[in-house]
Amino acid sequence: MELTQDQLIKLYTLMVRTRKCDELIVNALKSGKAIGFFHSGQGSEAVPIGACTFNLRDDDYLYPHHRGHGIGYMLARGLSPKPFVASHMGRVAQDVEGPTARERGIHGGSGTIGASFVLSAGMGITAKKNGKNQITACFFGDGSANRGTLHEAMNLASVWKLPIVWVCENNLYAQYMPLKDSMAREDIADLASGYNMPGVIVDGQDVLAVHEAVKAAVDRARAGEGPSLVECKTYRYRGHSEGGPDISHYEPRPAKELEEWKKRDPIKLFRENLLQQGVLTDADVERIDKEIEAEAETLEKYADECPIPKPEDPSVLDRLLYAE
Amino acid sequence: MKEIRFVQAINEALEEELSRDEKVYIIGEDVQAGTFGVSTGLVHKFGPERIMDTPLSETVIAGAAVGSAMTGYRPVAEFMFADFMYVAGDEIFAKAAKWRFIHGGTVELPLVFMASMGGYAKLGAEHSQSPESMFMHTPGLKLVVPSTPYDAKGLMKSAIRDNNPVVYLFHKRLLGLKGEIPEEEYVVPLGQADIKREGTDVTVVATGMMVQFALKVAEELKEKVSVEVIDPRTLEPLDIDTIIESVKKTGRAIVVDEDTKRCGVASEIMAQIMELAFDYLDAPIQRIAAANYPIPGGFMEDYVLPQTKDIKAAIEAIAD
Repeated sequence: MELTQDQLIKLYTLMVRTRKCDELIVNALKSGKAIGFFHSGQGSEAVPIGACTFNLRDDDYLYPHHRGHGIGYMLARGLSPKPFVASHMGRVAQDVEGPTARERGIHGGSGTIGASFVLSAGMGITAKKNGKNQITACFFGDGSANRGTLHEAMNLASVWKLPIVWVCENNLYAQYMPLKDSMAREDIADLASGYNMPGVIVDGQDVLAVHEAVKAAVDRARAGEGPSLVECKTYRYRGHSEGGPDISHYEPRPAKELEEWKKRDPIKLFRENLLQQGVLTDADVERIDKEIEAEAETLEKYADECPIPKPEDPSVLDRLLYAE
Repeated sequence: MKEIRFVQAINEALEEELSRDEKVYIIGEDVQAGTFGVSTGLVHKFGPERIMDTPLSETVIAGAAVGSAMTGYRPVAEFMFADFMYVAGDEIFAKAAKWRFIHGGTVELPLVFMASMGGYAKLGAEHSQSPESMFMHTPGLKLVVPSTPYDAKGLMKSAIRDNNPVVYLFHKRLLGLKGEIPEEEYVVPLGQADIKREGTDVTVVATGMMVQFALKVAEELKEKVSVEVIDPRTLEPLDIDTIIESVKKTGRAIVVDEDTKRCGVASEIMAQIMELAFDYLDAPIQRIAAANYPIPGGFMEDYVLPQTKDIKAAIEAIAD
């Protein structure tokens, strides 16, 4: 089914919002407002938005990739960005409207890389057992593709024909390690043949190409034909984590490489496409930018007013530790 | 009441809970056959969709249990040997234990990690371990170590019904042990110690196989020393109150633990007794545990694992 004009504009808007939320946290870390780690996903917005916005049902399961700390996936699933922004400022989100992450199949993320595969296998078991044609979409990076968990989970998913879509956001670097020096083959999609499932490579800068490739994999999983692997070739503009070096092994990443990838920026490519087709006008683009800029300002002010947690009552921690 | 073996007691608990709640399923290597017999035969009643034989992949067994528990199922993940749980370290110690806590208490993980534990079977260093201390050390994991058929059944039922990750370790040398259980349904709640033998002179705290060792020694010494044997049954939550009450009565405590002595379960229980009942002690607490070596293969294991003669000597010394 062709996407409507409104749907195309939604994809564009979501990518711009994803970029803006990411920039917001990067800037808040610089100004000292945000705390802890942030692993920016700037440059790869087409993957979460293209894959998730129109291919998943509300009751499907999704394991987000850690780039951008999952903001693209949350926005694509229709979640409010308030908890994302507030939590990066160390604050407790208030007055969050709309569905919760769990109501849209996002059950959390992990601090260790590669647990995504085996936890997603479990969500795939749930999807299959429920018998409602739900699917599980698992997003991972090129770095985690070197974890042994990939093998155990992909093999099990194929043997049991679990309804899982494995989507790799291959941005060519695992922290400082370039993929070319860490994987015996160039294409992660090649792994699929070892698990007797389809593996396709897609231009991860082209939001419509990602949408189409993931759609085919989702349709296949929903039809009970088992898992598939989609590899999205993309890039990250910033270093592994904010405040850390932006290097390949121990030397700066090549400036030329960044320059070349920025020529194929996913937002820029899609904007040009939509302008050319007449789906958007220059005035529309300007309006969208302004609206999202205003949303970001509101979000930052909102986060400033959210409270910092004060666990004065230690039973709060008990309730976090164990369910009744 | 009826007489039943330990292995059948676990099997009955699994069968009853599988019948009671369709969200319960068993996942692991050769669970349809049942390597130790605990899940044997269940596939005939519940089918391969609920008694799920996996490839040799401990990491995905543990991780899939976590993933499907957080989305509404109640898996019992079987690892065959507790030693094999090390393979799934991240999934057990980080994902299962911490997921609820780090996600603001919004997620429930009703799952059981089940495995055989313990030595005295001459199976070597990687099929004989008693790794309770690692689980007890990790906030977010409950830990069950039954010592009788009655407890094995009642605690398994509670473990499956609990809305949190529960590690359930059954001792491979206890599987043939016979004991009485009620004909009707019952559960044993987590966190309640059991006084396996009442006494007045010395308190011996033990779990699993060590309870049976302690009871044997207590019987042998009954003319000389009155030994009270306390079985916590679950190490997390730990019913320290029952232990402390006993120590206040006897004034003497010995903690027996099959795990490695250094930083073991016995070390923790000793520390808690010191914190809570120091003024009641008439002698230093004694600790009987495995020596700080890997468990050797063959007959050499007797030189590392705690023996009944060690418990006997400790009781005689402390009561003297």
